[in-house]
Amino acid sequence: MVLAGPPEDQGGVDALSLVAGGTDIFRRSRGVLGLVGLPIALAAAVAVLFLWVGNKQLDSIEQRRVNPEFITNALAEHMALAFTSTILVILIAVPLGIILTRPGARAVMPPVITLANMGQAVPSIGVLVLLALVWDIGFWPAIVALVAYAILPVLRNTMVGLQQVDASVIEAGRGMGMTKGAVLREIELPLAVPVILAGVRTALVINVGTATLATFVNAGGLGDIINGGLVANKQTVIVVGSVLTAAVAMFIDHLGGIAESRLSPKGL
Amino acid sequence: MSLLDYLSAQGDRLLGLTLEHLGIVLISVGISTVIGVALGVATYRTEGPRRVALGVTGIFLTIPSFALFGLLIGPLGLGGGPAVVALVMYGLLPIVRNTITGLRSVDPAIVESAQGMGMARYRRLFRIELPLAWPIILTGIRVAAVIIVGIAAIAAVVNGPGLGKDIFRALARFGTPTAVPQVLSAILGIIAIAIVIDLAFVAIARLTTSKGIRA
Repeated sequence: MVLAGPPEDQGGVDALSLVAGGTDIFRRSRGVLGLVGLPIALAAAVAVLFLWVGNKQLDSIEQRRVNPEFITNALAEHMALAFTSTILVILIAVPLGIILTRPGARAVMPPVITLANMGQAVPSIGVLVLLALVWDIGFWPAIVALVAYAILPVLRNTMVGLQQVDASVIEAGRGMGMTKGAVLREIELPLAVPVILAGVRTALVINVGTATLATFVNAGGLGDIINGGLVANKQTVIVVGSVLTAAVAMFIDHLGGIAESRLSPKGL
Repeated sequence: MSLLDYLSAQGDRLLGLTLEHLGIVLISVGISTVIGVALGVATYRTEGPRRVALGVTGIFLTIPSFALFGLLIGPLGLGGGPAVVALVMYGLLPIVRNTITGLRSVDPAIVESAQGMGMARYRRLFRIELPLAWPIILTGIRVAAVIIVGIAAIAAVVNGPGLGKDIFRALARFGTPTAVPQVLSAILGIIAIAIVIDLAFVAIARLTTSKGIRA
């Protein structure tokens, strides 16, 4: 079952891990073009967008959303939401994943993985709205919803990454007189880093996407522009907000891809 | 108001919304399957097109759903139309990817012996390659369905159908006693749909997997 089975039973695919990596096709070209090709294309798209808007007569309702201050502010809020939640996700999920893969706790791993897979079916907008209703609106409730939603890929990848480390390598480390802590720090974690990083990138891209919905619980972000356009029925505003949001999401995925390949230990 | 009170009072309406949600998911998964499998079949043998198909469908999934729904309002207006198009786009990557993986995992010796028996290209594809790749393709469709069930909740922002409507209605009723049970019942309904679809796929896999490769 997709919801119950471990990811390796599904031919290597699962819903959450597919979210990130879309922009990898642009990084396939070697050298500088692979690094700056996508950012240049996105910048060109945004430039075209602003030329199009610049040639339009915006009415006062449109001007309230489509102006440099409002857009910069929404972008800053969006980044604060996405990065704060991703950092919290790493701080919670990686240690938890380490604890859950220690010999004494291995029995809890299957249910945790099942829970992580079940979580895919929970709609992100539902979590955001539920937290807003039972707790509060604004930044921190939105952060909690984002963390709850994006914790699964990092937790699961940490556990899977640590579990796939060859037992004989760990034994060799112990045989050389390394303590359990040293084996974890110097052997297990470095070997698990690529898998963990893939999970972190997924979480970041999920958070950038879900943060778009934060506008519905008064937590700001780029969704403010799209929603403002929807509420006022202003097509131009909707397009500006949507194109900017899509461009930001692709750019962040691109940065995530670069970080993923740069931060993975060499020799793997 | 407790969740149970709410469910018994609003049961019929919730069932209607749940069926609506299931309906838009099934329609979207169906269209996504037709397009996705066709794309996979068309591209699996040549590296360039294959990479483009995977790249483009991958980028669809990177675009936040709210932004994609917003972009589709211009050409398609509000309602079920943009919702289905966006959901189809989100379902493509797992289906294309698994179709390609499945077709490429077919043992070339089997394909060659079919060719040696005089089977034409299309007969080979439909009688040999696709049946052998089917379990993997079906897994892709299942993953697409799980993705689509969740994102369909957001379709309500463009007046799309389904349980998402109740999530936004609950938000509009902020502070009233029915708001929390309303959003909870919508979330539970969506999880229930995901579980039902998942179980249905287990059955479909049993029924549609070719006898020779059934585990």
